[in-house]
Amino acid sequence: MLAVFEKSERIRHIGHLDIQRSVQRGLRRSGLPVAYSQGFNPHILITFASALSTGACGKREIMDVTMAEDTDAETFMQRMNRAMPPEMQLTEARPVDDRHPSLMGSLRAAVYDLTIREKDQAEKLISAIPAMMEKEKILTLRKTKTKLAECDIKPLIYALRGRDCHVYATLALTERESCKPQMLLEALKAEAGISEEVRMLVTREALLGENGAGELIPLEKL
Amino acid sequence: MDYREKFEMALEKVQKAPRYTGGEMNTSVKEWDEAPLHFGFCFPDTYEVGMSHLGLKILYGLINRESWSLCERFFMPWTDMIAIMKEEDIPLLSIESRRPLKDFDVIGFTLQYEMSYSNILAMMDMGGVPLENTERGEKDPIVVAGGPCAFNPEPLALFIDAFMIGDGEDVMTELNRVILQRKKEGWCREKCLRELAKLEGVYVPSLYDVTYEEDGCVQSVVPNCAEAQATVKKRVVTDLNNTYYPEEIPVPYTEVVFDRIMLEIMRGCTRGCRFCQAGMLYRPVRERSLETLLHLADRLQEATGYEEISLSSLSSGDYSCLPELIRELMKRMKDKRVSISLPSLRIDSVLKESLEETQQVRKTSLTFAPEAGTQRMRDVINKGVTEEDLLEKVRDAFRGGWNSVKLYFMDGLPTETEEDLNGIADLARKVVGEYFAVPKDQRARGLRVTVSVSIFVPKPFTPFQWEPQDTLEVIREKTEHLKHVLNIKGVTFNWHEPYVSFMEACFARGDRRIGQVLRKAYEKGCILDGWNETFRFDLWMEAFRDCGLDPAFYANRRRERTEVLPWDHIDSGISREFLLREYDRSLKGETTRDCRKGCNGCGLQKWKGVCGYANAGSV
Repeated sequence: MLAVFEKSERIRHIGHLDIQRSVQRGLRRSGLPVAYSQGFNPHILITFASALSTGACGKREIMDVTMAEDTDAETFMQRMNRAMPPEMQLTEARPVDDRHPSLMGSLRAAVYDLTIREKDQAEKLISAIPAMMEKEKILTLRKTKTKLAECDIKPLIYALRGRDCHVYATLALTERESCKPQMLLEALKAEAGISEEVRMLVTREALLGENGAGELIPLEKL
Repeated sequence: MDYREKFEMALEKVQKAPRYTGGEMNTSVKEWDEAPLHFGFCFPDTYEVGMSHLGLKILYGLINRESWSLCERFFMPWTDMIAIMKEEDIPLLSIESRRPLKDFDVIGFTLQYEMSYSNILAMMDMGGVPLENTERGEKDPIVVAGGPCAFNPEPLALFIDAFMIGDGEDVMTELNRVILQRKKEGWCREKCLRELAKLEGVYVPSLYDVTYEEDGCVQSVVPNCAEAQATVKKRVVTDLNNTYYPEEIPVPYTEVVFDRIMLEIMRGCTRGCRFCQAGMLYRPVRERSLETLLHLADRLQEATGYEEISLSSLSSGDYSCLPELIRELMKRMKDKRVSISLPSLRIDSVLKESLEETQQVRKTSLTFAPEAGTQRMRDVINKGVTEEDLLEKVRDAFRGGWNSVKLYFMDGLPTETEEDLNGIADLARKVVGEYFAVPKDQRARGLRVTVSVSIFVPKPFTPFQWEPQDTLEVIREKTEHLKHVLNIKGVTFNWHEPYVSFMEACFARGDRRIGQVLRKAYEKGCILDGWNETFRFDLWMEAFRDCGLDPAFYANRRRERTEVLPWDHIDSGISREFLLREYDRSLKGETTRDCRKGCNGCGLQKWKGVCGYANAGSV
């Protein structure tokens, strides 16, 4: 069963492992016939398309639950939404068969809404977008486990625009390479000449995959 | 920017923001205006500790169940958050609706351990509630408290308006009703407090005057108005099957200390260990029936999705239908992949059969609490466990595939000698011996024996309430000795710093004057005293000096048997005669039987029908 759920603003500081555990407990509360792994410490067979970082909210996060029995989407939605807190409600569910390609493997990009808290900072950042996008390379620092490395995020930005206090960005997100919202912000800050801290709220609006025609479409529609 | 926005900003900066954000399963309570009475439940420690506490879950459900009352939670923030709150002028906010503490009609603190007292002052201070009851005005909340430490309410008498003594389930609602009536009828604070004082089990300290002898001992504690009762009798719920127990409990997102279903199978204990305050305060023993428990287990599992149920009580091994309960629970929970754990097993009542059954699900480390190293010492404290009992259970466990055993002891017990300390090491060595006696191919690899020794703290309403605690110097010597003798291969020795236990001893048997020390210490910066990284012994000592009080007077003094004790006006149901009798027997090394084998006349027999094992004709 493929399901789309929300991680609300209130619980944005909950980390991915805790979100996973909460979904598992929700499934246990729902009484739905979910499949468990074999072995000494059985767990519910479930995968998440992508870990959402601590501090970010998610509008359309995606999970894939292996069911032990056929279950229709409506029953799944109803029972899960009764079993989940208001902060983590499901908005969509769709039965998929076992041959459905893996969520993580199909993931290509994510749509973000970066809400900039300070108005004048937002204006400066947004007006820096055209100039930044005209550059051949957009260099920014990527944090790896051991060091900071410079990298070019230009090929990883698929769309970028701004309005009011929001920066809307479609950024690459695959198992191999991705651009985090924070990296984009750093690049924009450099372009806009802002050195002080910029407070922003990150909302991941959607996860995207690629269809046969090479277009990016919502992952859950694949 | 209002405080809620500032709070949101603070969340971006602190460690462990989820302890402040709420929104957990089963916590979406009513809207503020849905109920006229607003109760702020305050746990004076961090979220992770508070959310592990059964009492919070019971009262949270109980208050929210009533259509006319609403309950929201408050916890003690960690130091990083406190610093931002002070700097940004953010008040202490409830988890649910993020309202300041001062907006509630009544705020209630649970008193689980003495070292949380400074957090009570910190939470009131941050929440905009004046600290002392004489400083509060008509608009300020009524501040109440309950829990085991409320049995000696005097150290907090300056700060708390009303204490609830004993089981909270009934008196909580009665108290809230009075405060609701105050709200409706516009009673002044004083009138409200006097009405509260009429309730059975409620102690309003401002309605009592305390006088002292020249030597600093209490002379008398007497009511100064007609509504106050001369002695306040603890509340007892007689039938747990007809007592509220929550069927939906909050499920935190993050891991807390006890992150599982706690099924309270019984309350009270019949063993009569002489050091154990809980064993005295929670008398008489009352069991929940098998049917009630199975129903609750099913409902709680459905409402939480938890993976584990622990049976909770002071002595779960004594529950009369334990094998049936475990067997039935395992049967029902197996398909739901829920494991059953028994936390406080008494080594003399663990059924081998039950052990083998738990093992099917998960093999956790086994915990035993012989408490003392020699039979003589165990007889003094009336811990009815023999060395042979312990070794037999350990042998069974090792044969059954366990490799990890935890042993809990105390040092500083009355009449303790070097021989008793050496006994701890002897016992640990014998446990190691039992492991190696199991043939290599039949035992699990990697033996781990953990010996934890805590420092004895004499508590009110126990036979040792007259006894001194060892001085810091003596405790240090004993710890050094233990480190030396417990240097055994395969054994890990955990000891405690004596300073916290010393402060605990001061406040456990403190009088009303020690409240000044608490306030002083708080003003000097003492908070989160239960945590090593924040405990400041030096500041506590300064506070004692500033108030002209000697901590040794409270901790290290042997009290006269005739002395008026600061908590004498609280009636726990246990008689002074019984405690003195037990004290004498302990000094002679005489044991007292388990109440289930015959009534020992602890005093509860005078409350007819309360104790199922009472014999009115007993001594």
